[in-house]
Amino acid sequence: MPLSPVADAGARRDRRDRLRRFLSDWQAVVGLALVILFVASAVFAPWIAPYDPNAMDIPARMSGPSWAHLAGTDQLGRDTFSRILHGGRVALLIAAIGVSVSLVVGLILGMIAGFGPRWLDSLLLLVFDGVRSFPSIILALATVALTGPSLTVVLAIVIITSIPGYARVARTATLALRHAEFILAERSLGAGTTRILLHHMMPNVIGPLLILAAMDVPVVVSIEAGLSFLGIGVLPPRSSWGTILNEGYLLIRDAPWMVVAGGIPLILTTLGFTFLGEALRDTFDPRMGRER
Amino acid sequence: MTVRRTITTRRTFLASGAALGAIGLVPGGAGMVRAQEGRVLNLRLEGDNAILDPGYMIGGTEVEAQKQCLPFLAEYVRDGDTFSWQPTPYVTRLEYADDTHLEFELAEGLVWSGGNGTVSASDVAYSYARMKDSEWSGYFDALETVEVTGERTGVLVLNKPFAPFIMVTLCHGPGAIVCEKATEAVGGRFTTEFPAICGPYTYSQTPGQRAVFERNPEWTGPAPGFDRVVAHVITEVQAAELAYEAGEIDCTELGPDSLARYTETLPPNTAITTAGELQYLWMGMNTQHEKLQDIRVRRAIQHAVDVDSILAGAFAGTSPKSYGIVAPGLLGKRNETSYSYDPAYARQLMDEAGVTGLELTLRTLNWQERLLTAQIIQANLAAIGITVNILPMESGPFWEMGMEEAGDTWQDLQLWLMRFATVPDPYEATQWFVSEQVGIWNWERWTDEEYDRLYEEGLSENDPAKREEIYLRMQQIMEDTGAYVWISHDPEVYAHRADIEINAAPSGELDYHRFEPV
Repeated sequence: MPLSPVADAGARRDRRDRLRRFLSDWQAVVGLALVILFVASAVFAPWIAPYDPNAMDIPARMSGPSWAHLAGTDQLGRDTFSRILHGGRVALLIAAIGVSVSLVVGLILGMIAGFGPRWLDSLLLLVFDGVRSFPSIILALATVALTGPSLTVVLAIVIITSIPGYARVARTATLALRHAEFILAERSLGAGTTRILLHHMMPNVIGPLLILAAMDVPVVVSIEAGLSFLGIGVLPPRSSWGTILNEGYLLIRDAPWMVVAGGIPLILTTLGFTFLGEALRDTFDPRMGRER
Repeated sequence: MTVRRTITTRRTFLASGAALGAIGLVPGGAGMVRAQEGRVLNLRLEGDNAILDPGYMIGGTEVEAQKQCLPFLAEYVRDGDTFSWQPTPYVTRLEYADDTHLEFELAEGLVWSGGNGTVSASDVAYSYARMKDSEWSGYFDALETVEVTGERTGVLVLNKPFAPFIMVTLCHGPGAIVCEKATEAVGGRFTTEFPAICGPYTYSQTPGQRAVFERNPEWTGPAPGFDRVVAHVITEVQAAELAYEAGEIDCTELGPDSLARYTETLPPNTAITTAGELQYLWMGMNTQHEKLQDIRVRRAIQHAVDVDSILAGAFAGTSPKSYGIVAPGLLGKRNETSYSYDPAYARQLMDEAGVTGLELTLRTLNWQERLLTAQIIQANLAAIGITVNILPMESGPFWEMGMEEAGDTWQDLQLWLMRFATVPDPYEATQWFVSEQVGIWNWERWTDEEYDRLYEEGLSENDPAKREEIYLRMQQIMEDTGAYVWISHDPEVYAHRADIEINAAPSGELDYHRFEPV
């Protein structure tokens, strides 16, 4: 149903207010800038990176930072800066696929739990809590013991451990809306469950999930880096911030720049997404708005 | 000899942290205090000693513990760059009566702890008889029996002349003697506690933290150089190096990059001792795997791997290049291979074999040097059109992946990086590749009648020139299978305080009671 001109103008004014509020928040601007930097450097890494990240130059191994190698070289003489840029692609890939798949699956399961029969709700809650109670690192170690390390395993771990968080939020929002008047009205007009869920519930439920997703990206990036640091993440020669950190840790007295170089992007990305997520929450969460 | 567990509560943790912090604030505090003052020696332990029983041990630091607490008949002694043997303080006589009879006489006054009586020749007979049925039985193949001729005397009877018996068997961990009475009292096998000890030190272990060796009041032999030895569990060698530099431990093994750095600039009051280079690292190929059955493919891989780059990149130039399984300083050491780094020839061999798009899996322990080695090999083989997927593994599954009795992984085994440690005789290294070892330790899965015959001849040959000829030929046979790319002989190198003289077996195990302050 199209909005009336008065309502349309009100909505536009509301969006402008929110955008102004968002842009006036320094944390939001810094967060957005860091996120753009992260995404752009990852996407354009093949063009920005000065060297092939896997090209070895053994005579130049463990060289310190210089104009030729901004972040120095590793034990095989590979350019650390290029490896960081390409490591960002791994982080972005895991974050993008991991978070989006978790969000979609969590949204669907959460809405089913909130809108379905009581027994199904209880069953799904049990599953969500069961998965959440399992430490992700232990789950990763157990999985790797069975399958061997790979990027796919990292993704699977991220998705499995993230789904319950989204599902819980989606369920709570669905429960709150389940007896709303507009839903009852739809029902009385003969709308089916699928239509109610997809056309009426989902648009109202997905907002908080998107904010949660922004906050979840650094968590996912950290999980990937953590698993790779432990040697159960991405496989060599592919670079990851976690593997760079691990190599830097092992060589901390001989090549300290590697730990610094591997840690900085992780810190900036975590900061960026955290700032951005919190700013989005402050801007778009109505309760937060009322508190202002 | 008890295993103690400590419970760390939040309060004790905070209290300990505060105490350590306070010590750290004292000028010239803990970090500068010499760790061995008060005749205490602080060392590194790679991990908990899990099985102290010589028959079922894993090795390494467990052998170190045995050498402090159990009798041995012989021990290694360094002679310049080589090793020989000498009788231990536990014996007054150890000598060959003829090629197959080795007589011994135990010293007087040796008593087992816990009121288990004196160390007797029957304990020797019991110990070595049980070793013949143990997981380390290979070391006792040449032993027929132990004849007990008196309370403290006996004869080790060999089933054939076996030149390296003392060096390989008696000086190493399997040569430990256990107390028959105490061992039988605990069911014939033991794990983390010695049933009875007789040696310079007593032993206790706090899992995950340390093993402590205290002077044994019942020991009547030569006094050890230090009153107390504390071996702290530090799994990462890099962390141990930091602990050494902070003054927390007195001796640590060095990794390749640290060795390179120490060689350039030694920290104050530090000396470096190379225990030995009795390890051999190679890349193995499964000759029975369908992707590697064509010897031209295997030879192409031999020619494609740039070993010099591996030594420079993964080992910082600190490891000698390997040309076979016999380590430097030993009879039968080779100085060249019949293949060389030649990518063009490797490509030609691949073309002759008509193999394209070959994809192989290279399995390796997830240690840094191995992963770097694997990545260089990956790049080398990519240059001749072979895609290598590296599969880093934990030590548990790694060490059984080629064993038929441990599952089906051996069927899928293609390439792997493997390192064995050996003893100062070429016999030990060659034993793992005879036909009967296929599916046990011969993961390359080839057999050769000449090799098997030469192995038997090498055992009973006493002429050094002939033995050398035998072991050179055996390595050539191995290389001709195309299943090996020899890489390095990693040295066991220790950094230690300059005023301590350390003692290490050629295979790297430290013998704490033979450490001396100088």
